[in-house]
Amino acid sequence: MQEFEHIQSLWQSHTVEVKISSEEMLEQAKKEVGTIRTKSLFNIGGMVISFIAISSLLFYFDFNSWTTSLGIGIIIMAVAIYTILLYREHRLISKNDFTEDPKAFLSKLHEYQLSRFNLYNKLYWFYASAISFGFILYFYEMLGGMNTWTQVVFIAFTIFWMVFCATILRKSFMKREKERIDLLIEKFERISGQLDDTA
Amino acid sequence: MDQKDILFKQIFDTNSKKIFHLCYGYTGDSDAANDLLQETFLKVWQNLDKFRQKSQISTWIYRIAVNTCLTYLRSEKRQAKDELTDNIIETKVEEFSEKNEQVALLYKSISKLEENDRLIITMVLDELPYQEIAEISGISEGNLRVKIHRIKQKLTELYNHHARI
Repeated sequence: MQEFEHIQSLWQSHTVEVKISSEEMLEQAKKEVGTIRTKSLFNIGGMVISFIAISSLLFYFDFNSWTTSLGIGIIIMAVAIYTILLYREHRLISKNDFTEDPKAFLSKLHEYQLSRFNLYNKLYWFYASAISFGFILYFYEMLGGMNTWTQVVFIAFTIFWMVFCATILRKSFMKREKERIDLLIEKFERISGQLDDTA
Repeated sequence: MDQKDILFKQIFDTNSKKIFHLCYGYTGDSDAANDLLQETFLKVWQNLDKFRQKSQISTWIYRIAVNTCLTYLRSEKRQAKDELTDNIIETKVEEFSEKNEQVALLYKSISKLEENDRLIITMVLDELPYQEIAEISGISEGNLRVKIHRIKQKLTELYNHHARI
Protein backbone atom coordinates (compact mmCIF):
# COMPACT_ATOMS: atom_id res chain seq x y z
CA MET A 1 0.00 0.00 0.00
CA GLN A 2 1.56 3.30 -1.12
CA GLU A 3 0.95 6.73 0.39
CA PHE A 4 0.54 10.02 -1.47
CA GLU A 5 4.07 11.10 -0.48
CA HIS A 6 5.46 8.14 -2.41
CA ILE A 7 3.39 9.16 -5.46
CA GLN A 8 4.70 12.71 -5.18
CA SER A 9 8.33 11.61 -4.98
CA LEU A 10 7.71 9.34 -7.97
CA TRP A 11 6.32 12.28 -9.94
CA GLN A 12 9.21 14.51 -9.04
CA SER A 13 11.79 11.85 -9.85
CA HIS A 14 10.40 11.54 -13.34
CA THR A 15 12.31 14.06 -15.43
CA VAL A 16 10.71 15.15 -18.67
CA GLU A 17 12.48 16.27 -21.78
CA VAL A 18 11.01 19.24 -23.62
CA LYS A 19 11.37 18.44 -27.29
CA ILE A 20 11.52 22.00 -28.53
CA SER A 21 14.05 24.73 -27.78
CA SER A 22 13.16 28.34 -27.04
CA GLU A 23 14.70 29.38 -30.40
CA GLU A 24 12.54 26.88 -32.30
CA MET A 25 9.46 27.93 -30.35
CA LEU A 26 10.07 31.61 -31.07
CA GLU A 27 10.61 30.84 -34.75
CA GLN A 28 7.43 28.79 -34.87
CA ALA A 29 5.35 31.43 -33.09
CA LYS A 30 6.47 34.01 -35.63
CA LYS A 31 5.93 31.95 -38.75
CA GLU A 32 2.40 30.57 -38.03
CA VAL A 33 0.61 33.15 -40.16
CA GLY A 34 3.72 34.02 -42.14
CA THR A 35 3.54 30.71 -44.03
CA ILE A 36 0.08 31.33 -45.42
CA ARG A 37 1.06 34.88 -46.42
CA THR A 38 4.25 33.69 -48.13
CA LYS A 39 2.38 31.03 -50.11
CA SER A 40 -0.16 33.60 -51.20
CA LEU A 41 2.68 35.92 -52.29
CA PHE A 42 4.36 33.13 -54.27
CA ASN A 43 1.05 32.47 -55.97
CA ILE A 44 0.80 36.12 -57.01
CA GLY A 45 4.47 36.16 -58.03
CA GLY A 46 3.92 33.19 -60.34
CA MET A 47 0.96 34.91 -61.98
CA VAL A 48 2.92 38.15 -62.48
CA ILE A 49 5.76 36.21 -64.14
CA SER A 50 3.23 34.51 -66.45
CA PHE A 51 1.73 37.91 -67.27
CA ILE A 52 5.14 39.37 -68.18
CA ALA A 53 6.17 36.29 -70.19
CA ILE A 54 2.94 36.20 -72.23
CA SER A 55 2.92 39.98 -72.74
CA SER A 56 6.50 39.89 -74.02
CA LEU A 57 5.32 37.67 -76.90
CA LEU A 58 3.48 40.67 -78.32
CA PHE A 59 6.61 42.82 -78.18
CA TYR A 60 9.22 40.39 -79.40
CA PHE A 61 7.32 38.55 -82.15
CA ASP A 62 5.65 39.87 -85.23
CA PHE A 63 2.43 37.96 -85.76
CA ASN A 64 0.66 37.96 -89.13
CA SER A 65 -2.84 37.05 -88.04
CA TRP A 66 -5.07 39.19 -85.86
CA THR A 67 -6.34 36.01 -84.18
CA THR A 68 -2.93 35.44 -82.54
CA SER A 69 -2.82 38.94 -81.06
CA LEU A 70 -6.42 38.63 -79.91
CA GLY A 71 -5.71 35.18 -78.40
CA ILE A 72 -2.67 36.48 -76.51
CA GLY A 73 -4.66 39.57 -75.47
CA ILE A 74 -7.43 37.42 -74.00
CA ILE A 75 -4.93 35.25 -72.12
CA ILE A 76 -3.16 38.35 -70.77
CA MET A 77 -6.48 39.83 -69.62
CA ALA A 78 -7.51 36.59 -67.90
CA VAL A 79 -4.15 36.30 -66.13
CA ALA A 80 -4.26 39.99 -65.10
CA ILE A 81 -7.79 39.75 -63.68
CA TYR A 82 -6.96 36.56 -61.78
CA THR A 83 -3.78 38.16 -60.42
CA ILE A 84 -5.74 41.19 -59.19
CA LEU A 85 -8.23 38.87 -57.47
CA LEU A 86 -5.37 36.96 -55.83
CA TYR A 87 -3.84 40.24 -54.67
CA ARG A 88 -7.16 41.38 -53.23
CA GLU A 89 -7.31 38.15 -51.23
CA HIS A 90 -3.73 38.49 -50.11
CA ARG A 91 -4.55 41.91 -48.65
CA LEU A 92 -7.29 40.32 -46.53
CA ILE A 93 -4.73 38.44 -44.47
CA SER A 94 -1.65 40.63 -44.89
CA LYS A 95 -3.23 43.76 -43.43
CA ASN A 96 -4.35 42.10 -40.21
CA ASP A 97 -2.33 41.07 -37.22
CA PHE A 98 -3.78 38.53 -34.84
CA THR A 99 -2.05 40.12 -31.86
CA GLU A 100 -3.65 43.51 -32.51
CA ASP A 101 -7.27 42.48 -33.01
CA PRO A 102 -7.94 38.73 -32.78
CA LYS A 103 -11.65 39.00 -33.66
CA ALA A 104 -11.05 41.11 -36.77
CA PHE A 105 -8.26 38.78 -37.80
CA LEU A 106 -10.45 35.70 -37.43
CA SER A 107 -13.25 37.32 -39.38
CA LYS A 108 -10.80 38.19 -42.19
CA LEU A 109 -9.49 34.62 -42.14
CA HIS A 110 -13.05 33.32 -42.62
CA GLU A 111 -13.55 35.84 -45.43
CA TYR A 112 -10.27 34.76 -47.01
CA GLN A 113 -11.31 31.11 -46.92
CA LEU A 114 -14.66 31.85 -48.58
CA SER A 115 -13.02 34.05 -51.17
CA ARG A 116 -10.42 31.37 -51.97
CA PHE A 117 -13.21 28.83 -52.37
CA ASN A 118 -15.00 31.09 -54.88
CA LEU A 119 -11.78 31.78 -56.72
CA TYR A 120 -11.14 28.10 -57.31
CA ASN A 121 -14.76 27.29 -58.13
CA LYS A 122 -16.98 29.64 -60.14
CA LEU A 123 -14.27 32.14 -61.04
CA TYR A 124 -11.85 29.41 -62.05
CA TRP A 125 -14.20 28.27 -64.83
CA PHE A 126 -14.37 31.81 -66.28
CA TYR A 127 -10.61 31.92 -66.14
CA ALA A 128 -10.19 28.47 -67.75
CA SER A 129 -12.74 29.33 -70.50
CA ALA A 130 -10.97 32.61 -71.32
CA ILE A 131 -7.56 30.93 -71.40
CA SER A 132 -8.88 28.10 -73.61
CA PHE A 133 -10.51 30.55 -76.02
CA GLY A 134 -7.26 32.56 -76.10
CA PHE A 135 -5.25 29.43 -76.90
CA ILE A 136 -7.62 28.44 -79.73
CA LEU A 137 -7.09 31.84 -81.38
CA TYR A 138 -3.35 31.72 -80.72
CA PHE A 139 -2.96 28.25 -82.22
CA TYR A 140 -4.87 29.27 -85.36
CA GLU A 141 -1.75 30.99 -86.72
CA MET A 142 0.97 29.28 -84.73
CA LEU A 143 0.06 25.76 -85.75
CA GLY A 144 -0.83 26.69 -89.33
CA GLY A 145 2.66 25.95 -90.73
CA MET A 146 3.16 22.68 -88.83
CA ASN A 147 2.33 19.16 -90.00
CA THR A 148 -0.86 17.46 -88.84
CA TRP A 149 0.81 15.21 -86.25
CA THR A 150 2.61 18.12 -84.56
CA GLN A 151 -0.68 20.01 -84.49
CA VAL A 152 -2.42 17.00 -82.92
CA VAL A 153 0.34 16.63 -80.29
CA PHE A 154 0.22 20.37 -79.41
CA ILE A 155 -3.57 20.44 -79.17
CA ALA A 156 -3.78 17.13 -77.28
CA PHE A 157 -1.13 18.21 -74.78
CA THR A 158 -2.83 21.59 -74.23
CA ILE A 159 -6.22 19.93 -73.69
CA PHE A 160 -4.66 17.35 -71.36
CA TRP A 161 -2.88 20.07 -69.36
CA MET A 162 -6.02 22.22 -69.06
CA VAL A 163 -8.12 19.24 -67.94
CA PHE A 164 -5.40 18.14 -65.49
CA CYS A 165 -5.25 21.63 -63.95
CA ALA A 166 -9.05 21.96 -63.79
CA THR A 167 -9.63 18.58 -62.18
CA ILE A 168 -6.86 16.79 -60.22
CA LEU A 169 -4.58 19.76 -59.55
CA ARG A 170 -7.39 22.18 -58.68
CA LYS A 171 -9.16 19.71 -56.38
CA SER A 172 -6.02 18.69 -54.54
CA PHE A 173 -4.99 22.34 -54.16
CA MET A 174 -8.44 23.27 -52.83
CA LYS A 175 -8.37 20.35 -50.37
CA ARG A 176 -4.95 21.28 -49.02
CA GLU A 177 -5.85 24.95 -48.84
CA LYS A 178 -9.09 24.20 -46.97
CA GLU A 179 -7.35 21.93 -44.45
CA ARG A 180 -4.61 24.50 -43.87
CA ILE A 181 -7.01 27.40 -43.29
CA ASP A 182 -9.41 25.23 -41.23
CA LEU A 183 -6.57 24.27 -38.92
CA LEU A 184 -5.48 27.87 -38.60
CA ILE A 185 -9.04 29.04 -37.90
CA GLU A 186 -9.55 26.26 -35.34
CA LYS A 187 -6.33 27.19 -33.60
CA PHE A 188 -7.02 30.92 -33.54
CA GLU A 189 -10.63 30.38 -32.41
CA ARG A 190 -9.39 28.37 -29.46
CA ILE A 191 -6.81 31.02 -28.64
CA SER A 192 -9.31 33.83 -29.09
CA GLY A 193 -11.82 32.27 -26.71
CA GLN A 194 -9.26 32.28 -23.94
CA LEU A 195 -7.80 35.76 -24.27
CA ASP A 196 -10.24 37.45 -21.90
CA ASP A 197 -9.79 34.77 -19.26
CA THR A 198 -6.05 34.68 -19.25
CA ALA A 199 -4.73 38.19 -19.85
CA MET B 1 16.81 40.20 -31.42
CA ASP B 2 14.34 42.64 -29.86
CA GLN B 3 13.25 42.95 -26.24
CA LYS B 4 10.09 40.86 -26.72
CA ASP B 5 12.06 37.99 -28.26
CA ILE B 6 14.56 37.95 -25.39
CA LEU B 7 11.77 38.07 -22.80
CA PHE B 8 9.90 35.25 -24.54
CA LYS B 9 12.99 33.06 -24.61
CA GLN B 10 13.59 33.68 -20.91
CA ILE B 11 9.97 32.85 -20.10
CA PHE B 12 10.14 29.68 -22.20
CA ASP B 13 13.40 28.50 -20.65
CA THR B 14 12.09 29.10 -17.13
CA ASN B 15 8.62 27.59 -17.52
CA SER B 16 8.62 25.09 -20.37
CA LYS B 17 9.65 22.07 -18.31
CA LYS B 18 6.89 22.53 -15.72
CA ILE B 19 4.28 23.23 -18.38
CA PHE B 20 5.36 20.18 -20.34
CA HIS B 21 5.06 18.07 -17.17
CA LEU B 22 1.56 19.46 -16.58
CA CYS B 23 0.53 18.63 -20.16
CA TYR B 24 2.16 15.21 -19.93
CA GLY B 25 0.30 14.46 -16.72
CA TYR B 26 -2.92 15.53 -18.37
CA THR B 27 -2.58 13.54 -21.61
CA GLY B 28 -0.21 10.72 -20.64
CA ASP B 29 1.31 11.09 -24.10
CA SER B 30 4.53 12.98 -24.81
CA ASP B 31 3.58 13.91 -28.40
CA ALA B 32 0.25 15.37 -27.30
CA ALA B 33 2.02 17.11 -24.41
CA ASN B 34 4.46 18.60 -26.87
CA ASP B 35 1.56 19.90 -29.03
CA LEU B 36 -0.06 21.43 -25.96
CA LEU B 37 3.19 22.98 -24.83
CA GLN B 38 3.65 24.62 -28.22
CA GLU B 39 0.08 25.86 -28.31
CA THR B 40 0.46 27.31 -24.82
CA PHE B 41 3.61 29.21 -25.71
CA LEU B 42 2.12 30.37 -29.00
CA LYS B 43 -0.59 32.04 -26.91
CA VAL B 44 2.02 33.43 -24.54
CA TRP B 45 3.86 34.99 -27.48
CA GLN B 46 0.69 36.43 -28.97
CA ASN B 47 -0.50 37.91 -25.68
CA LEU B 48 2.72 38.91 -24.03
CA ASP B 49 2.00 42.59 -24.64
CA LYS B 50 -1.39 42.24 -22.98
CA PHE B 51 -0.10 40.62 -19.80
CA ARG B 52 -1.18 43.05 -17.07
CA GLN B 53 1.10 41.79 -14.29
CA LYS B 54 -1.82 41.42 -11.92
CA SER B 55 -0.44 37.98 -11.14
CA GLN B 56 2.92 36.29 -11.47
CA ILE B 57 3.89 35.46 -15.02
CA SER B 58 4.18 31.76 -14.13
CA THR B 59 0.57 31.81 -12.82
CA TRP B 60 -0.56 33.47 -16.04
CA ILE B 61 1.23 30.81 -18.13
CA TYR B 62 -0.22 28.01 -16.01
CA ARG B 63 -3.70 29.44 -16.58
CA ILE B 64 -3.14 29.48 -20.33
CA ALA B 65 -1.80 25.91 -20.18
CA VAL B 66 -4.75 24.69 -18.09
CA ASN B 67 -7.24 26.30 -20.51
CA THR B 68 -5.34 24.88 -23.46
CA CYS B 69 -5.40 21.38 -21.97
CA LEU B 70 -9.11 21.58 -21.15
CA THR B 71 -10.04 22.84 -24.62
CA TYR B 72 -7.70 20.39 -26.32
CA LEU B 73 -9.69 17.24 -25.66
CA ARG B 74 -13.07 18.84 -26.22
CA SER B 75 -12.92 18.86 -29.99
CA GLU B 76 -14.13 15.62 -31.55
CA LYS B 77 -10.85 14.91 -33.25
CA ARG B 78 -8.91 15.09 -30.06
CA GLN B 79 -11.43 13.04 -28.09
CA ALA B 80 -10.67 10.17 -30.42
CA LYS B 81 -7.02 10.63 -29.55
CA ASP B 82 -7.94 10.68 -25.86
CA GLU B 83 -9.33 7.18 -26.19
CA LEU B 84 -5.90 6.13 -27.30
CA THR B 85 -4.33 7.44 -24.12
CA ASP B 86 -4.83 4.12 -22.39
CA ASN B 87 -3.16 2.29 -25.25
CA ILE B 88 -0.27 4.70 -25.29
CA ILE B 89 0.24 4.23 -21.57
CA GLU B 90 -0.12 0.43 -21.86
CA THR B 91 2.50 0.35 -24.59
CA LYS B 92 4.79 2.50 -22.54
CA VAL B 93 4.41 0.17 -19.57
CA GLU B 94 5.79 -2.65 -21.72
CA GLU B 95 8.63 -0.53 -23.01
CA PHE B 96 9.70 0.77 -19.63
CA SER B 97 12.05 -0.92 -17.22
CA GLU B 98 10.67 -2.23 -13.97
CA LYS B 99 11.74 0.87 -12.09
CA ASN B 100 10.01 3.21 -14.50
CA GLU B 101 6.94 1.01 -14.57
CA GLN B 102 5.81 2.75 -11.39
CA VAL B 103 5.94 6.10 -13.21
CA ALA B 104 3.85 4.68 -16.03
CA LEU B 105 1.35 3.41 -13.45
CA LEU B 106 1.20 6.87 -11.96
CA TYR B 107 0.38 8.44 -15.33
CA LYS B 108 -2.21 5.76 -15.93
CA SER B 109 -3.79 6.52 -12.54
CA ILE B 110 -3.81 10.27 -13.26
CA SER B 111 -5.49 9.62 -16.61
CA LYS B 112 -8.41 7.98 -14.75
CA LEU B 113 -9.18 11.18 -12.85
CA GLU B 114 -11.64 13.85 -14.01
CA GLU B 115 -10.15 16.42 -16.43
CA ASN B 116 -10.04 19.27 -13.90
CA ASP B 117 -8.77 17.01 -11.15
CA ARG B 118 -5.95 15.84 -13.39
CA LEU B 119 -4.72 19.38 -13.82
CA ILE B 120 -5.08 20.28 -10.16
CA ILE B 121 -3.19 17.20 -8.98
CA THR B 122 -0.31 17.77 -11.39
CA MET B 123 0.09 21.25 -9.93
CA VAL B 124 -0.03 19.78 -6.41
CA LEU B 125 2.57 17.18 -7.39
CA ASP B 126 4.74 20.02 -8.71
CA GLU B 127 4.36 21.70 -5.29
CA LEU B 128 2.74 24.89 -6.50
CA PRO B 129 1.44 26.96 -3.57
CA TYR B 130 -2.29 26.43 -2.91
CA GLN B 131 -2.93 30.13 -3.38
CA GLU B 132 -1.47 29.95 -6.90
CA ILE B 133 -3.42 26.78 -7.78
CA ALA B 134 -6.59 28.50 -6.57
CA GLU B 135 -5.87 31.49 -8.80
CA ILE B 136 -5.09 29.31 -11.82
CA SER B 137 -8.11 27.02 -11.43
CA GLY B 138 -10.54 29.75 -10.37
CA ILE B 139 -11.58 27.89 -7.19
CA SER B 140 -11.61 29.51 -3.76
CA GLU B 141 -8.73 28.41 -1.54
CA GLY B 142 -11.09 26.85 1.02
CA ASN B 143 -12.87 24.74 -1.58
CA LEU B 144 -9.58 23.88 -3.21
CA ARG B 145 -8.15 22.39 -0.01
CA VAL B 146 -11.16 20.07 0.29
CA LYS B 147 -10.95 19.21 -3.39
CA ILE B 148 -7.23 18.48 -3.26
CA HIS B 149 -7.68 16.21 -0.24
CA ARG B 150 -10.32 14.25 -2.16
CA ILE B 151 -8.19 14.04 -5.34
CA LYS B 152 -5.15 12.88 -3.37
CA GLN B 153 -7.19 10.07 -1.84
CA LYS B 154 -8.66 9.09 -5.19
CA LEU B 155 -5.26 9.08 -6.90
CA THR B 156 -3.70 7.00 -4.12
CA GLU B 157 -6.56 4.49 -4.42
CA LEU B 158 -6.21 4.31 -8.19
CA TYR B 159 -2.45 3.91 -7.99
CA ASN B 160 -2.65 1.13 -5.41
CA HIS B 161 -5.41 -0.55 -7.41
CA HIS B 162 -3.32 -0.52 -10.61
CA ALA B 163 -0.21 -1.62 -8.73
CA ARG B 164 -2.04 -4.71 -7.48
CA ILE B 165 -3.14 -5.80 -10.98
